[in-house]
Amino acid sequence: MILFLQNILRFIILILVQMFVLNNIRLLGYINPYIYILFIFALPVKFSRPLSLLLAFILGLIIDMFSNTPGMHTFATVLIAFLRNPVINLYTSIEEGANPEPSFYTFGVAGFVKYIITLVLIHHTAFFILEIFSFIGFGYTLIRIILNSLVSIIIILGISLLKKK
Amino acid sequence: MGKLFAFIVRYSIVLLFLLLEIIAFSMVVKNNGYQQSVFFSSSNSIMASMYSISNSVIEYFYLKSTNDGLAVENIELKNQIIKLQNQIDVYNHSKKYGSVKINPDKEINFIYAKVINNSTNKLLNYITINKGKRDGLYPDMGVINEDGVVGVVSNVSEKFSVVIPIINPKIQINSKFAHNNYSGPVQWDGHDYRYAKLNDIARHVKFADGDSVVTSGYSKSFPEGLLIGIVNKHNIKESDAYYDIRVKLCVNYRTLTHVQVINYSNFNEQQNLEKSVE
Repeated sequence: MILFLQNILRFIILILVQMFVLNNIRLLGYINPYIYILFIFALPVKFSRPLSLLLAFILGLIIDMFSNTPGMHTFATVLIAFLRNPVINLYTSIEEGANPEPSFYTFGVAGFVKYIITLVLIHHTAFFILEIFSFIGFGYTLIRIILNSLVSIIIILGISLLKKK
Repeated sequence: MGKLFAFIVRYSIVLLFLLLEIIAFSMVVKNNGYQQSVFFSSSNSIMASMYSISNSVIEYFYLKSTNDGLAVENIELKNQIIKLQNQIDVYNHSKKYGSVKINPDKEINFIYAKVINNSTNKLLNYITINKGKRDGLYPDMGVINEDGVVGVVSNVSEKFSVVIPIINPKIQINSKFAHNNYSGPVQWDGHDYRYAKLNDIARHVKFADGDSVVTSGYSKSFPEGLLIGIVNKHNIKESDAYYDIRVKLCVNYRTLTHVQVINYSNFNEQQNLEKSVE
């Protein structure tokens, strides 16, 4: 029950922060970090996969409605929700029967950082390619992907650091 | 059939994933449709109301620059009003007498200035403003803001000026009651930055608390009728010939940011004439 409430609260707070703070940042004209995906990252490892896909869909849809980007965030978010479990299996070895929430403590520092970096890169790549919707001017898109991912990763890792065991 | 079900169950997650991604992707592709644009656009009423809340917060960060802009615009409008009034006077006069004339005491305009130093807690308070000789300022010009009279310019350098406000006992502002023209000087008594004293009002003058005190127009610094303050309290002892009147000043010196300097075009002419008599 506590876990449930915690996640609901996280869902709402992340959307509000994303909409009213981060979407108003236009650093260097490129950088608009997306941290709402932290919700997907922080779901427990053995969380029901169909449910996590549906939650990702709803989360992406809400962000899309706020930022007038129909379908783009939805696509990218569902993609990382699907790829989350393979990535976790790739970088960590969770004991049979355990169901931890991903964090520095449960994954180890290296494992957690790799996990975040991989998924943020996938999400941002999918999103920015959909936003441009062509491979024309790919250099510009690449710069955007790299800079935005860098900032998003730093912010997400920073927030994760705050979390107690 | 059984094999199909087994297949669906086995790959249900992949199928759900593909379904959701197809929905999302079709939204990306078909985002020109009217329904979609209504559904997604921020004119969507919930989004709109949330954005208006967030805007009302963000607005506060821009209040300062908005204020500056409005103050400058205000000065321009005031100058235009004075010009138009003078033109109306000229027109009426020429209709009556067939000749053209502007009343010399009405040839004024305003110069915008920002307060960069200010004190209210001393006996001798001064205000520094960011306009000086190169902007056309000279000593003895009147200084007002949108609430009323602030003070008089005393010293002028190339880029800055020092203003003596009413809350400095060194100056007296010649003033009068708006309703019956009895005049007397307003001077600060050094106690409270919100109040000053109006002197030399004789025993027989009729007035009440709440009457407005305005400039008399007997000085070169201020034209007639600018608000100085409002009578707050008055009393008179049996033995005195003059009232003891406390005036609530209209200008709040604690929050002073913008002022307007009155530029009187005939200042020198009037001053020379008055000097030649002495």
